[in-house]
Formats: sequence, C-alpha cells, structure tokens
Amino acid sequence: MTKIVQSIGGWLRSLVGPKQPEFSPEETERLSTLFRERYHSFRVLLAANERALETMAAMEQAWADTRPYGMDFVVSTATSLSVRVYRMIQHLDALAPDTYAELFERLDQIRGELDAVIQPPTPIITAPLVLPLSAIGRDDSAVVGAKMANLGEIHNVLGLEVPAGFVITAAAYGRLLDHNDLRSEIRRLIQSVEIDRPDALFALSSQLQQLITAAEVPADVRDAVAGALAAVRAESDSKNGFAVRSSAFGEDTADTSFAGLYDSQLNIHQDNLLAAYVETAASKYTPQAMVYRRQHGLRDEDTEMAVGCMAMIDASVGGVAYTAEPQDATDRRIRISAAVGLPKTVVDGRFETDLFIVDRSSGTVVDRRIAAKTTAFVLRPGEGITRQEIPGEVAGRPALTDEKAVEIAGIALRLEDHFGVAQDVEWALTSDGRVVVLQARPLHQATVTAAAGAPIAGDPLLSGGVCVSPGIAGGPVSWVHSDREALKMPEGAVLVLDYPDPRWAALLDRAAAVVAEHGGIAGHLATVAREFGVPAIFGMGSLDVLRRGEEITVDADGVAIHPGLIPGLGDGRQRRNLMAGSPVREVLGRALVHIAPLTLLDPNAPEFRPASVRTLHDITRFCHEKAVAEMFSFGSEHSFPRFAAKQLHHNVPMQWWVLNLDDGFTGEVKGKYVHLNEISCGPMHALWDGMIAVPWDGPPALSGSGLASVLFEATRNPALATPFRKPYAQRNYFMVSKNFMNLQSRFGFHFSTVETLAGDRDSENYLLFSLKGGAADIERRAARAQFIADILADKGFAMKVIEDTVTARASALPQEIVLDLVKIVGYLLMHTRQLDMIMGDQRTIDHYRSKLEGDIAGLGAG
Amino acid sequence: MAINVLLVDDETSFVETLARRLTLRQFAVWQANDAETAMRILADNPTIDVVVLDVKMPGTDGLTAIKNIKRRHPMVEVILLSGHATLEASVGGMALGAFDYLLKPVRIDELVYKVEDAHRRKAIQEEKIRSLRGVTPPESNEQKT
Repeated sequence: MTKIVQSIGGWLRSLVGPKQPEFSPEETERLSTLFRERYHSFRVLLAANERALETMAAMEQAWADTRPYGMDFVVSTATSLSVRVYRMIQHLDALAPDTYAELFERLDQIRGELDAVIQPPTPIITAPLVLPLSAIGRDDSAVVGAKMANLGEIHNVLGLEVPAGFVITAAAYGRLLDHNDLRSEIRRLIQSVEIDRPDALFALSSQLQQLITAAEVPADVRDAVAGALAAVRAESDSKNGFAVRSSAFGEDTADTSFAGLYDSQLNIHQDNLLAAYVETAASKYTPQAMVYRRQHGLRDEDTEMAVGCMAMIDASVGGVAYTAEPQDATDRRIRISAAVGLPKTVVDGRFETDLFIVDRSSGTVVDRRIAAKTTAFVLRPGEGITRQEIPGEVAGRPALTDEKAVEIAGIALRLEDHFGVAQDVEWALTSDGRVVVLQARPLHQATVTAAAGAPIAGDPLLSGGVCVSPGIAGGPVSWVHSDREALKMPEGAVLVLDYPDPRWAALLDRAAAVVAEHGGIAGHLATVAREFGVPAIFGMGSLDVLRRGEEITVDADGVAIHPGLIPGLGDGRQRRNLMAGSPVREVLGRALVHIAPLTLLDPNAPEFRPASVRTLHDITRFCHEKAVAEMFSFGSEHSFPRFAAKQLHHNVPMQWWVLNLDDGFTGEVKGKYVHLNEISCGPMHALWDGMIAVPWDGPPALSGSGLASVLFEATRNPALATPFRKPYAQRNYFMVSKNFMNLQSRFGFHFSTVETLAGDRDSENYLLFSLKGGAADIERRAARAQFIADILADKGFAMKVIEDTVTARASALPQEIVLDLVKIVGYLLMHTRQLDMIMGDQRTIDHYRSKLEGDIAGLGAG
Repeated sequence: MAINVLLVDDETSFVETLARRLTLRQFAVWQANDAETAMRILADNPTIDVVVLDVKMPGTDGLTAIKNIKRRHPMVEVILLSGHATLEASVGGMALGAFDYLLKPVRIDELVYKVEDAHRRKAIQEEKIRSLRGVTPPESNEQKT
C-alpha cells in the first residue's frame, strides 16, 4: 500500500509541477478513450475479484460447516473461481500489457493441480459383468455392493441359507453408461440443477431415471445375464420369479444404510429381468437417494449400482431381526418384527406387526406383543406381489412360534458375531419351516442423545406411539401425502405422515422432526431418520388434530407432541455431521489447499511478484494491488490534465486528492481544485459524512506505558520516523466514479484502504475496508485491529485480523445499506486513529468502545 | 438503444424461455439451436452485439463456435454458458476470447448484467478503434468522405 501511495505521490508531483504539456483535440480524444478502456478493465477486474472472494468464502464456509453439499458444488465453485481469476489476470494484462503475463502460467499450473484433485474416481471396468452369489464374499463389495457381498459371505462362509441368485456388477453398470454415452450427460444434468429446491430435485430425478431406463443394455451384459439365469434355473426347480434388488457401493455399510432408498422389485418374471434391471439401476437417482448421498458427502461415482437377482422365496412369514435396541445401545436383547407373508409387510413401515424380544444369554422369548395383522403381501401368480386381507380370527394369532423366534434370533446373533457389529437382518420363513436370510446389514443405532434440560412442561397435544429416533425439535406442521405436498414442505417444518413411506426420506434433510400415524421402529424411514439425527415418532394413531402451518414441538424422547414452539431449543435440530470424513469433503479440503491460503501478504516485500504466487487467493490479491497502482500510473505516464487528480477544497486539516475515473464529477472541473459539491460519487459523500459527523477529540491521553511503547517503536522502526514532516505523509487519494470509490490513505502511521461499489446491481455491490499500522508496539496495534473488528462484526461485516491488519468485507447488499456502512467506516477512519496507543488499559478501552458505539448509533446508519 | 443478443443452445425450451425473459427486459433477441445457424444469423445481422453460447451442443460445440465467431466477427462479445463445469473448458473458453463463462443454472439478473457489461466492452472497443483511426490521417480521410 505504501508503494502505491509513493507512486501516486510521484505522479502527483509531476502533475502539479509548473509544466503542463499541450494536447491536440485528437490526442485528447485518444487518451480519453484509452482511459475509459482502462477504467472498464479496472471495473471488470474489481468485479471478478469480488466474486472470486465470495466464492472462496463459500468454499471455506462449506469446509467448516456441517451442512451437506455435493461434488457439483466443489466442481462448479472451483470452475467459476478459476474463470474469475483468469478474468482478473486478463484485465490486469490489459492495464499493464505483458508486465505480469507470468500469472497466466501460474494459473495454468494451479489449475492443473486443482484438476487432479477434483477429477471423478475411475469407474470399475475390469471386473466380470455378472457374478453368481456362490462366488462372492464380503471383500467384493466394490464390485457387487455391500448388500450382495454380505449375502454371498453369509452363504459361502457361514453356510446359512440364502436365495439362489447372481449379481449384475458395477462393471456392467459402467458398461451400460458407456455404451449409451451417459456419463457426461449425467454429470451435466446434476451440475446444472440446484437440488436444494425440492421441485428441481424431483424434476432432475425424473430426468436422470428416464435417461437410464431408456438406455440399451449392451449385448455382452445381456448374454452374461442370460447365462447366469440359466445356471440358477438349473440349480433349483422353483417356478417363482426373481427379487431384483439394488446393491450399490456404500449401501448397507456401517456408515451408510441407504435403507429403502433404492428400488427393489419382487417376483419378476425371468423374461422381464433386464427391464427390471435398468429400472433398479435407475433408482440410483430417486430423490431420496440423491438427498441421502448429498447428506453423506458421497460423490455420484462413489455409488456405482450393482443389482442382485435372487430366486423369489414364497415366504409364509417374513420380517426383520435387530440384535440390539436401536434407541438404546445398552439394551442388547434381540428384537424380531414379524408379519404374515413377505417381509415387505414389515419393512414398509405401514402395518402393525408382531414383536418378539429374545434374551441373548438365556435364548428365550422374554416379551411378545402380538398385533392385529390385517394385511399381508404375497406372490402374485404371474408376476409381482399383491396385498391380501387377513381374516379377523387369523389376524390376531402370533406370526411366529417362540421356537422359530429363538431360531431366527440365533441366526441373527451368528451374523452379529461374524460381522462384528449389531445387525439388522431381513428374513423369510418358507412353508416347510426353513429360515432364509434375505439381507443383513449393520444396525443403525441412534447416536444423538436427548436434549438436555428439564422435561417439557404442560399438557401435550398428543402422545403415544414409538420413538424411532430420539431428540426434541419444533416447527410448523407440514402434512405430506403426495409429491405435490412434498414440494411445498417448507425448510424446518415438522413432517407429518400417515404412513412412513421410505420415499419421504427425500424430505428428511429439510424436516425438523417427523411424526407418523402408523409404522414402527423397523421401517426404512425410521432407519434413515436415526442416521440423519431427525427426531421421529411413529405409530401415534390419528394425527387429524394437527393443522397445516400450526407450530408444534415434537418430543421424541417423551413420545409426545406439544403445542407451539418450546423456547430455548434453538432450531431443535441435533444433526449428525455426516459430511465429516466423507469423500466430497475430503476433495474440497484438498482443493482448498490450492485456493484459499494467502501467502502474499506484504505488497512492499520483494516476494510480492508473480513467480511467488502459490494459490488462487494470492493471484487475486496480487492483481488487485497492481490494478490500483496501474490506474494511478496512467496519469504519470501521460501527464494528462483532464484525468489528473484534483485537490479537494475543504476544511479538514489534511490533504485529499481526487481522481475522476468516469462520472465521479458533476461536470467538467477546471483548475487544480475540486469542491465537494462538484463530486457526484455517492460512496465518497457517505464516507465524508461519516468522517465529519462527530468532531475528533484529538489524540487520546497516553498512559506512561503507552507513550513508552510509541517511543520504543519509533526508535526500532525507521519507517515510522517523523512522518508528519514529510510533504506527502498526510495525503490521501480517492479514485471515484458515480457509484465507485477507492481510497488509499495514510494518517500518520496508519495505512488504510476503503473500496466500495454501491450501484443498482445489489449482487455486485461491496465494501472493503482495511486498516494497518499504528505507532505503538505490535501487541497494541494488533489489539486495536481486534478492537475495530469487534465493532464492525456487529454491523454485519465479515472480519479478518492478521497481526495489526484488520480487514472488513460486506457484499451483495442494496445500495443504501452499503452507503450506511461506508458512513460507519468513515467515522471509524477518523476516530480510531492512535487508539493503538491506549490498548494496554482495559478501562480506557471500554470507555472508547462505548463512546464509538454510541457515536455510530447516532450516525443514523447501519 | 436495445442491446442485440443472439442466444445459441440446443435446448429449445431453454432458449425460448430465456428469449422471452430477455425480450421483456428490452433486449432484441435472436435464437439459434446450433452453431451453424448462429453463424448464418451473425452474417445476416451485423448489429448483433453479444452472443450467449452453450458450450455443449451436438455438431459444432461451443468452443469451436467461439473460435469461428471471433475470427469472422471479432467485435462481437461472446458469453459462454455451460451446464457442465470443467476447469479446462472454462479457462480454455476464456482464453479463446469469451467475455465470461457462466454456469447453468444462471440467475436471469446475473445474465442480464453480463450481457450489459459485454455490450459496454464492445462499445468501448469500437470507440477505441474509431479514435485510433481518427489520428491516422489517410484512413480517417477515407472514412470521412
């Protein structure tokens, strides 16, 4: 900054000297055009700088935050940032042709490093297209997905019965995409839509699913499936169809369950297997799966779809076994939910089912709750499944005998023992009494503890049901029965459902809590609610009293709904940080290494040159600094009076010079001086108003130690010697247009920059204020920087303090708000001078803080 | 005077919606669904100031198209619009002379600002050329007569 001030000083001396060259009208016109062109480049550069800094801040914020984002965010922010930085170099090059061309090479190099970080992972292409279940184990999950890998392991290693079948692998999915040239189209679609908006999410989901279901299955995949199908048929005499189940990479793992988020199709006729395959593969893009991946920081490429095809088991009874209580890690009894017919009746979460609790040490049933099971899902003769009513007298009978419950518990415990964690096992009982394992995955236990504090006082609106995910949270009621209603659910609402259908998992990232009339702990939506840490109560019975928009508080721990919002709960959400350790966050972190650190700090240091830039932030800093200097140097190169700075005519005891960049003066200003009323720059007037609003009391009274600090610093730091005697030490330089102002100033030992754009494009407006220096020792100067930061942070600025430099930034605000903030900055510019000297004394600091805050309140700004 | 804009994108509905919205904002808008049509429209309409060009199109892609546009109509400003962010295409497109590179979905206000800025740049460049001709006697005489 000092260098700029010096160069400006030199230029000004050349301008105010006795000789002024004569210009012909043509030459005047040419120089004017040249100047306008430079000003345009300068403005483009500043706008690009502003946008680049905003983008960097958004990336750093995402890294620090727990909120989810996808690779689309990382790639698009890195891309737009690179474009902004390129624009800055391009326009600096226009201001100073070829002087800083090395920056292009530096950008190329950094971009190459960034590209290597954000490239998508290489898809699996070398594995077989189809693998029989008999040939796979848990180590094959990258190729066949964890679900099928576990199932293969259960049969091949533990010898338990599983259905005969095969897996169409992730390699086949890759073939499907490549054969139809879908990879880049999928990426393009994902990147071009903001999936935070539910309507955009649903539309994108539909578009992506159509793309895949319409794809042609390549001949080699078709042949491989036909071969595997023949082998299964040869193995068993079953005439039933196939269960076609998703088995994506990352599904059914300890960290991510994806419970019920992908498609499963039951009892599919063998002739329709390929059609069911593409539909299941396409379910990678259900809205709920897309939201889930985003929440967990998974890249699109991290979840290549494998699909399992298993001979359908005609279950007489089916269900789910948990080897522990999902709500309470200390309760290790086995819980078996059972229903008549296929296990779908249980996992759908829609129907009442039996519950058997088996003690693991005694191996006995210690509790059983038998429900009236009025509905069963059974196989349809041709294809698919159908719902069947169960007659009243049968509905109330237990679905399982105690012996069978104990047998199922034993199998579940073997699985827990083998896999080393509590299990969630889907099982089927055949008509001849065999237990077949359909699926086993780690049980997702709630990790969120109940909200601290006293229980909620007062009578609840409703109570009962079962807590499927603990916690307390409130929000407005949002009933959802249909996609149309789902699209309207506001952020932070309490999702109210009749049935906990897993497809509403797409809304869990936006919901404060979930309540449902039906369902229980074993449903898929319950599993995902626990994973997301969203409080949920299911099976509450009629919720008709809840009116849309009415505010309620859901106390899942106390299984009750209270009227209104309970104060002091914040937004009540106690979300898990699912992004921590995720692939997407890891990529963002590695990308930020090349983006965010600022290593070029001091523009006067010899290292402040293109060869030293290490990051994109360095390039922006360098370009900004040099562009400001280049704008001033135009005058010294051409000694051109129309664009020479004028001295401001005023009554403040300092010298101010004003350079009109474009439309900063109300008209032609002749001579050496300009009056304030001839200046049309809104930001400069606002700054000036702030500066003169309150008379300055003069330097603060110094304590002995403050004075000693100043004297010591003066002997140690030659740059600070007798500044007041230097001819240009008190000069300050404005560059102005109607809506733009850049001020480089030096008040004694203090260097400051104020730069602002306050026009009618809110999104481009900004205010940057930085102040550095002081006469006291570094500790006091740093304390002064922090003192200013504390004051401005309250006004909505983003603050940064590095040593004795304080930087404040506000952006994308309406013109009048920016001007109010400029006024505050103007005030601080005058009134924080020399406050560094009193920074040792807390009482004085407090005094000044309250004085400054009082004055700022009186400015009528902010 | 209205700014003359040519929109080039193979997504017909996207171009039509954008054209409608820009027209409502007092822009004069031409539309093309491929680069070849765009080149014909540019040749027939020398008043076009700014081209908003999709990067990924069947046939001639946006990056090839910008080369052709800049070769035949160097004063026309081109804003690249892409649904698929890649570092290479973005900075590559800028190096080919794009005024800016925007990612879909783009906010209409943002696009309007960019088109206005691109138009301003074009006006400044034209003014510069005029003033340079103005100080070159033979050429300037020819221009005046």
